[in-house]
Amino acid sequence: MIKLSNIEKVYQTSNIETLALNNINIDIKKGEFVSIMGPSGCGKSTLLNIMGLLDEPSTGTIAIDNKPVEKFTDKDLAYLRNQKIGFIFQSFHLINDLSILDNVEIPLLYRASTNKSRREAAKEALEKVGLSNRMKHFPNQLSGGQKQRVAIARAIVGNPEIILADEPTGNLDSAMGNEILNILLQLNAAGSTIVMVTHDENMAKKTHRLIRLFDGSQVS
Amino acid sequence: MLSHLFKLIWNKRRHHTLLMVEIWFSFLVLFGVMSLISYNFKNYLEPIGFEYENVWALDLNKNQDTTAIAEKLNTVFQKIRSYPEVEVASRMSNNSPFSFTQSNGNISYQKHSVLADYYTADEDFTKALGMKTILGNWFKKADVVAKFKPVVINKKVQEALFGEVNPIGKIIGENQKVVGVIENFKAKGEFMDNSPCIFNLADDKYDYNKVLIKVKPGTDANFEAKLTKDIGAIAKDWTTEVSYLTDQRQNQHNFALVPVIIFLIITVFLLVNVAMGLFGILNLNIAKRREEIGVRRAMGATAGNIKIQFVGEMWVIATFGILIGVLFAVQVPLMHMFNVETSIYWMAIGLSIVILYGIITLCAYHPSRQAAKIQPAMALHEQ
Repeated sequence: MIKLSNIEKVYQTSNIETLALNNINIDIKKGEFVSIMGPSGCGKSTLLNIMGLLDEPSTGTIAIDNKPVEKFTDKDLAYLRNQKIGFIFQSFHLINDLSILDNVEIPLLYRASTNKSRREAAKEALEKVGLSNRMKHFPNQLSGGQKQRVAIARAIVGNPEIILADEPTGNLDSAMGNEILNILLQLNAAGSTIVMVTHDENMAKKTHRLIRLFDGSQVS
Repeated sequence: MLSHLFKLIWNKRRHHTLLMVEIWFSFLVLFGVMSLISYNFKNYLEPIGFEYENVWALDLNKNQDTTAIAEKLNTVFQKIRSYPEVEVASRMSNNSPFSFTQSNGNISYQKHSVLADYYTADEDFTKALGMKTILGNWFKKADVVAKFKPVVINKKVQEALFGEVNPIGKIIGENQKVVGVIENFKAKGEFMDNSPCIFNLADDKYDYNKVLIKVKPGTDANFEAKLTKDIGAIAKDWTTEVSYLTDQRQNQHNFALVPVIIFLIITVFLLVNVAMGLFGILNLNIAKRREEIGVRRAMGATAGNIKIQFVGEMWVIATFGILIGVLFAVQVPLMHMFNVETSIYWMAIGLSIVILYGIITLCAYHPSRQAAKIQPAMALHEQ
């Protein structure tokens, strides 16, 4: 489903060159739940951004559904992100000026859809994460766990095949964290392919496969 | 997408209130200026109705002289006509073309009535100003003794009083008989409204101390000096003032255009302020909303979508301001204010809307392009 071959990412400032990722080769199969672990600054988020087509590797190739994306235009990449990938972030990244329902609708704004169909899909996604009673609330009226559930609803509203979660439980206490992980496990059981960056060994153990990074290199 | 933009701006309306008020105020000022410009432009497109090149206006001021005025005037008039440099000389009332004098009153026919400018002129008036009648004839000398006082009207009076009916021979007022119709006579220049007007025949019995002289091309100031000297010799206590209609026309233009220009400068200044405000707000917005830009890109927004998002938000803010402005502005044509054709106001409303949206698009375009260039991974990482 996602294949990374010989990925390198170098950040270049005026005099300094920083190697963020070095010779990464990962093949994620459809329906897998993969966790990525490693110390802070080892390149986990960079790797996830590259998988999510938010960032480009300096060298190497990415293929989604066996199609290399190097020559894809901005529009093609946006289309892939919109149709195939759902993102969940550690700090939720909800838009505070929009209601929960409007936040969840965002991915659907960038595809052909009617107001009514967007509304229905967003309500359905919020029901899945147990927040149907908070649709008209605004993000600053919710707890951290609720915000992350909204972020999950936003990630799944467009029925993407891949969910990329960057430390989704990082800002939550363990009970909330487990709740979020359970939702992700349910989504995976329903067929979603999930890649999750985490610092939590216990959570990583519940996934199908663990990839460890150290100083930008894949160690397992 | 449009409903999303409206919702976003509506939820943040408190942050944008000042900007909306500024746009509302700018719209009203712009509407005022556009109304003035449209009014003047529409007038300008209508022919003035007469020729003013090589026409001089002579003001004969009798000062304290009270003796044998009519005889002296006739002598002066005969003298003027005798010069080889003079093609035509015509006596008229003080409200000569491009003068700042006006005389008006109501004229009526059956149940119709119209406010018209009144002029008195002799039989050579049309020759001096190169005018033509479109119906009937201009006055003849013999008309002075006719049973009814002959009058010539313009097309505006004809339309107001007679509609499609031929007005020649009709009696208007108490004893005025229409003998001719002219097309236009915009005595205050090109920027004057083509308003209704009526001409009476000048009677030699009365003092008309304004003389229009059509001189031969190339006649210069030497003749002007000779003319005033000769008139001074006939009527010693009189003073004579010669004005060229071309110069007087320029004065009338200044009179019409200077307020428009001043108003326009104020409006441009105001619009520049609005533009700078918009530019600043949008730049600040983008700096504050890098996270949101990153999220939208991650969710599938293209660079173009981001550009449209920010330009669209400005359009929505402008729409709120303009809508309130339009509510105020439409009262002017609906209540037929200032006796101006309502089409002018509708045009001004349309132009003001187009100009404001244009300025807003221009101001929003560059910051929105910058927003579209933000790398999503970088924007999300910064947070």
